Amino acid sequence: MKTISRILAFCFLAVMAFSCKKSFLERAPISNANAENFFKTKADFDLAVNAAYNSLYTTYHPEGPVSYVSEQMSDNAIVYNISGIEADKWAFKDYALRPNNTMLYQFWQECYKGLYNINVVLSKIDGAEVEAAYKEGVKAELMFLRGLQYFNLVRIWGDVPVVLTPLTGEESYAVSRSTQADVYAQIIKDVQFAAEKLPLQSKITVKGKASKGAAQTLLGKIYITMGDKAKAATVLTEVVNSKEYDLLPTYAALWGGNVKNTKESIFEIQHIGGNPANPYSRYHQGFFPNTNIFQFYGGGMNQVTDDLWNEYETGDVRQDISISKGYQNGNVFVAQKFPKKWLDANAVVQGGTAYASNNFMVLRYADALLMLAEATGNAASLNLVRARAGMPLFGTASYPTAKYPTLELAIEHERRVELALEFHRWFDLKRTNRAIPVLSAKGKAITQDKLLVPVPEIVRQQNPVITQNKGY
Amino acid sequence: MNFKIYKTFKGLLLLTFALLTLQVFAQTGEVTGKITDEKGGPLPGVTVQAKSGASTISAPDGTFRLRNVPAGESLTFSSVGYTAKTVNAGNKGTVSISLDATASTLNDVVVVGYGTQTKKAVTGSVVSVGFDRFKDRSFSNVTQALAGQVAGVNITQAQGAPGQSPIIRIRGISSITAGTNPLMVVDGVPLENFNLNMINPQDIESVEVLKDASSAAIYGSRGANGVIIITTKLGKAGRSTVSAGYEYGIQKVTRKVNMMDAQQWIQYYIDAHNNAWVDLGGGRQAGDPNSVRPSNYKIPEDFITNPAQFGKGTDWQDVMFRTAPSQNAQVSVSGGTDKTQFLFSTAYLSQDAVLDRNYYKRLTLRSNIRHKVSEKVNVGLNLGVTAIYDRTDGTQGKSDVISLGIQSDPIFPVYNENGNLGYRDPNSVWNRFISYGDMNLWHPYSLTRFIDKQNKSFNTLGTGFLEYSIIKGLKFRSSISANLANSKNDFYVFKNQGYGYSSLLNSSASTGNSFMLNWLTENTLNYDKHFGDHSLNILAGYTAQEQRDEAAGASAAGFANDLVQTLNAGTTYNGVSSFATEWSMLSYLSRVNYNFKNKYFLSGAIRRDGSSRFGSQRRWGYFPSMSAGWVVSDEDFMKNVNAINFLKFRASYGMSGNNQIPNYGAISLLGASNANYASGGTLLNGQSVTTIPNELLRWEKTSQFNIGFDMRFLKNRVNLSADFYNSITKDMLLNVPIPDITGFSTQLTNIGRMQNRGVELALTTKNVVGDFNWTTDVNFSLNRNKVLQLGPGNAPIIYTDYAVAVKTEVGQPISNFYGYVFDGVFKNQKEIDGYPHDATTKPGDPIVRDVNNDGKITGDDRTNIGNYQPDFIGGITNTFSYKGLEVSAMLQGSFGGEITNQNVRYLGWWNNGRNMFSGVVNRWRSEAEPGDGKHFRATLANTGLQSQYSNYWVEDASFVRIKNIRISYTLPEKLLARTPLKNTRIYINAENVHLFSKYINYDPENTTYNATSYSAGANGLAPSGIQAPSGAFIGVDYGSYPVPRIITFGIKTDL
Repeated sequence: MKTISRILAFCFLAVMAFSCKKSFLERAPISNANAENFFKTKADFDLAVNAAYNSLYTTYHPEGPVSYVSEQMSDNAIVYNISGIEADKWAFKDYALRPNNTMLYQFWQECYKGLYNINVVLSKIDGAEVEAAYKEGVKAELMFLRGLQYFNLVRIWGDVPVVLTPLTGEESYAVSRSTQADVYAQIIKDVQFAAEKLPLQSKITVKGKASKGAAQTLLGKIYITMGDKAKAATVLTEVVNSKEYDLLPTYAALWGGNVKNTKESIFEIQHIGGNPANPYSRYHQGFFPNTNIFQFYGGGMNQVTDDLWNEYETGDVRQDISISKGYQNGNVFVAQKFPKKWLDANAVVQGGTAYASNNFMVLRYADALLMLAEATGNAASLNLVRARAGMPLFGTASYPTAKYPTLELAIEHERRVELALEFHRWFDLKRTNRAIPVLSAKGKAITQDKLLVPVPEIVRQQNPVITQNKGY
Repeated sequence: MNFKIYKTFKGLLLLTFALLTLQVFAQTGEVTGKITDEKGGPLPGVTVQAKSGASTISAPDGTFRLRNVPAGESLTFSSVGYTAKTVNAGNKGTVSISLDATASTLNDVVVVGYGTQTKKAVTGSVVSVGFDRFKDRSFSNVTQALAGQVAGVNITQAQGAPGQSPIIRIRGISSITAGTNPLMVVDGVPLENFNLNMINPQDIESVEVLKDASSAAIYGSRGANGVIIITTKLGKAGRSTVSAGYEYGIQKVTRKVNMMDAQQWIQYYIDAHNNAWVDLGGGRQAGDPNSVRPSNYKIPEDFITNPAQFGKGTDWQDVMFRTAPSQNAQVSVSGGTDKTQFLFSTAYLSQDAVLDRNYYKRLTLRSNIRHKVSEKVNVGLNLGVTAIYDRTDGTQGKSDVISLGIQSDPIFPVYNENGNLGYRDPNSVWNRFISYGDMNLWHPYSLTRFIDKQNKSFNTLGTGFLEYSIIKGLKFRSSISANLANSKNDFYVFKNQGYGYSSLLNSSASTGNSFMLNWLTENTLNYDKHFGDHSLNILAGYTAQEQRDEAAGASAAGFANDLVQTLNAGTTYNGVSSFATEWSMLSYLSRVNYNFKNKYFLSGAIRRDGSSRFGSQRRWGYFPSMSAGWVVSDEDFMKNVNAINFLKFRASYGMSGNNQIPNYGAISLLGASNANYASGGTLLNGQSVTTIPNELLRWEKTSQFNIGFDMRFLKNRVNLSADFYNSITKDMLLNVPIPDITGFSTQLTNIGRMQNRGVELALTTKNVVGDFNWTTDVNFSLNRNKVLQLGPGNAPIIYTDYAVAVKTEVGQPISNFYGYVFDGVFKNQKEIDGYPHDATTKPGDPIVRDVNNDGKITGDDRTNIGNYQPDFIGGITNTFSYKGLEVSAMLQGSFGGEITNQNVRYLGWWNNGRNMFSGVVNRWRSEAEPGDGKHFRATLANTGLQSQYSNYWVEDASFVRIKNIRISYTLPEKLLARTPLKNTRIYINAENVHLFSKYINYDPENTTYNATSYSAGANGLAPSGIQAPSGAFIGVDYGSYPVPRIITFGIKTDL
């Protein structure tokens, strides 16, 4: 009886112990950090800034919005057999995009997820107890990234909602699409701030982070897209005069798994290969034909058209450096052209994936020079690019003037071959108002409305204040 | 001779019995006697209780001896299932008596939450299924045997692999985002998402299903999906029984998917290429040679010049499926004395799966003991230990063995001339097909024989309790329970997989393990009081429960050869990770049961739950319930209504909750995945915010109103129960889609309302009674599910996974299939010109209905094209018995639901050269050969919305199934008289005997997606879509595992 009384007493005590212990129900997550305690120290912000840069991987993914739109909607690329949700991927090349296209919705989500990762840092940094210079540096970097993100959004969708701070669900219903002009105004504000505050490329210790030159070159691209050639010329001239950049001696030197952050590179997305835990480079695999003879599954995206292949002048070394003519499969050569620029011969291949190291250049000096030629009407910088490729200079007798009689056409041609498959073509054709004439001449079903893609239907179902683009 | 053995045995038992009882009673007046049943047979295990306190239990031969009985004392004889009798012992010293079996089962005890009730006193909606109803069924999970037997409970076998738990829906589906599985309560321990395969059905005494909210409300925040209570067996005092059983079974896939043979497929392949080539225009002709075609339009010369060489080709289903044996052996010992009762059991199940190289082996051990320490104190311990070793492939849908096997092209042989599996063998003549990017072979053996894998699962569930009678009627009970689950899985891929897979991969291996500990302490006070006509039972309790889950995994590659498969032999490691999560819960509960004259019943209960999962501001919730019952047939005015033997009305209202959300759903978390960056060759770590916080997150609440009646009439031969319920779920835990411009697609919020209304009928008729008995059990249930309110602006929720879209909108049931309507096939260009169509449409493409009549085919022409929820379900079981022979047959039916055959995405239109459903043979080929008007033309580009989700994918899921046929024969005692065997039965049990259905895949119950749950260990396909709960895609079959026919032969005997 005594024992039993003791047991009972113990049980009651146990009950009381739990009742009193309020913390029994308070469980901190074990394998994730709680965001409440974050954004305090410099180390926290470093981590969060890296996460903001990570959004470049989705935006510039070989199966990302910029890749699909810039190449597949242009005359450079096509897709045949691919994996995944084929019909929705094929729709880009055929201008058959519908508002229920799942790829478009995924791109929309990813773009704004990236913007959230940027905005959340910008919203916390001002109140944080970190040194002022650090604050300013972080803000400049993130405003560069934000400007770049909106620049892509506005070029793809036209009017888009502009979000500059983290929004709650309730707040977000009030945000409708801003006009393209307003979006551009915001982009310029961000990128100008970045251009003022960011250090020169040579002063940057952590390679790959945004520099003054990157912001200026982006600004040049934004101005030229808006049609403001004078401002573009000014800012691009500053880039040239900074002497921070130069063309590499050969075109071939630009490419390879170990070629990173060269003198020609202005803004470059950083990858590390080797294993799946690293942010490895997906371009070669993504652009390899949809087969797996090399142990990895080729994504089959952005297969190269004969039209692009034929754009190269005879003897242009850039043709073979940029494009593979096909691949050998056993005794058979399969003639299907695909991009070659991001081949990493030393990539570790494991479990169907090639863990390549190639970086991806978003902005490079050749691009800046060609934009400068376009902005100023001076062929000199165009000819720097041609000279490096070993091709006859514009204005000389051996230049194919019959084919490209004007400087504008010469630049259009040069951009296509020099920057082939680097996610420029569609945007170049659009900003020069050449998309419809050029593409319809090649039999593509392009119309004015197709220059913008539709707003995903889910976005509009969630919030009816979001309007649709014309023609969808 | 046999008499001698019997006598010896009897003598031994009596001796044991005498020894055990000797010390209990003092030696005074003694009463002896024999207790028999109505037919004069001995009745063991009857409690004989003297008024003054002495008691004993009758021996196996029905005799008893009770000492310490004063003269003239009255004795009460009672036993479960028999009407108790009280007689005066007088001075005779001997009493012989016969007890009558209880006329009805109303005095049967039903297990309810935290206690038991007589059936008569049940005022909610509780169904009790006893061991007899599933004892011969061959399932490893007891709920599988309940399918089609319980009104209001829809149990569907989503996949047929051994050990696959069914999806259980009690009274419809109450949540969109939160988990939808009922709470499992095993010997009093509430366990979320518990795998019932861990409990051997042969050890189970009864299964109770608490359907209505008033019954489930005592489980508070976990009761909204209903509760299933499992009670394991305990020996009965007075008799030790050794039971042994053995079963041998054979399993077979009896219903295959009709696929094209090699000739049909080659013709399809040629048509697709030629049509696509001609579609390019510019005068291209179907007869153009390969030399003028780009690679993806080329056709193998073999197909054109000599297709006959391929014959009918290979039927990959015949390759991967086999007739598989299973064995199940079981031994248990149970018995006890007045003071101690026990059950020890062990069983071993060894089941080969119908799928090549797959198996399921289970060992279970159980020890249940209850001991009376003193008149006031009882203690007990239930302990179950289970180990399962299995290899299960084919349940992951689209990219698992079964689906891939069906997709494989029939032209390839099972073995090539080198004895290898596939055309990727560089030394094989078949290697010539490698240059075509649109040939497919995922040889089943490349996955079952060139991948080694095994899962091992261990589960220990123990409950120790102490009961203390403080004063008469007041009992304190305290229990401590622990559920410890461990699992380990190993996986090794052989280099090149016999050349049978879609690519040649290097060898790789992975290993993973998980750990789960759930502990619970429950402390309850129970007060029973009878005064006059009043009867009162009060329960109050306090419980605390905690669970911790841990998991770790690693994988390796770079194995030198296939000799050593453990990770140490690898040279590169990746995917190394581990994680842990926890939840905790505190609860207070109370219930009052009152009845007057055993005629008017009233019950009220409340539970207060606090959970770590919820927002700090909303951690606690109250779950009240009320119910009442009235036994009308006991009223005086009914006394003369002879037709009605029993009639009870029940009404209840209660509120229960759903807490099945992720453990840290209320907190904003940081994550490291997709957050890192790099600089040159240096990795830069990152952290990003992955979820939005919601401090106001709280319980999902379901309130349900239930009315029903139980009735017996025509001399107790007809037994009818009916229930009507209306339940409203509010504050639904919904991953509300929020505008993506927030950076998030959804936020877990309490929003929205949903309704489930339904009718349930259960009817049992004893059609013939006597030596020959014929009983019919019928159940019928109907549930109507309707969404009443959703997030801001009631915006519909559309989830899409691989083209299949499900739409949840106000006024409709949850998860309607949402797609285009195909009204046949355009026969010619003239028809196309005369109807709205997509610009890419060509003759032979589908006629897409212009649903909104705007003259254009756009996304707005998609509409609701079906829903998986059936209009009604039912089951009929007929049982015939004659002496020792018993035959029963069960029909199960489901009517009015639809199923999405997501394999249409691979097998219904051109998808890079996969094999096709044989129905596609009847496709449109030309204006002169328009086919069956359903199957559109072959082409590579899927023109005219061919590939869009449409009613072409949706089929009628109605079916009638001969679910079970059972023949059992109890050997006559005469035959066994020479042996120590007693109660020996032999039986044949057949499951899934025949399916009547038009569905073109294996089974209209197939669902490849899991029911939503937030626990580890789920097996099935998770949607790839962002934040979509897998349960949203129930009713979508993406290449599921067929449910085989299983025939078992068994023998069971008692010693």
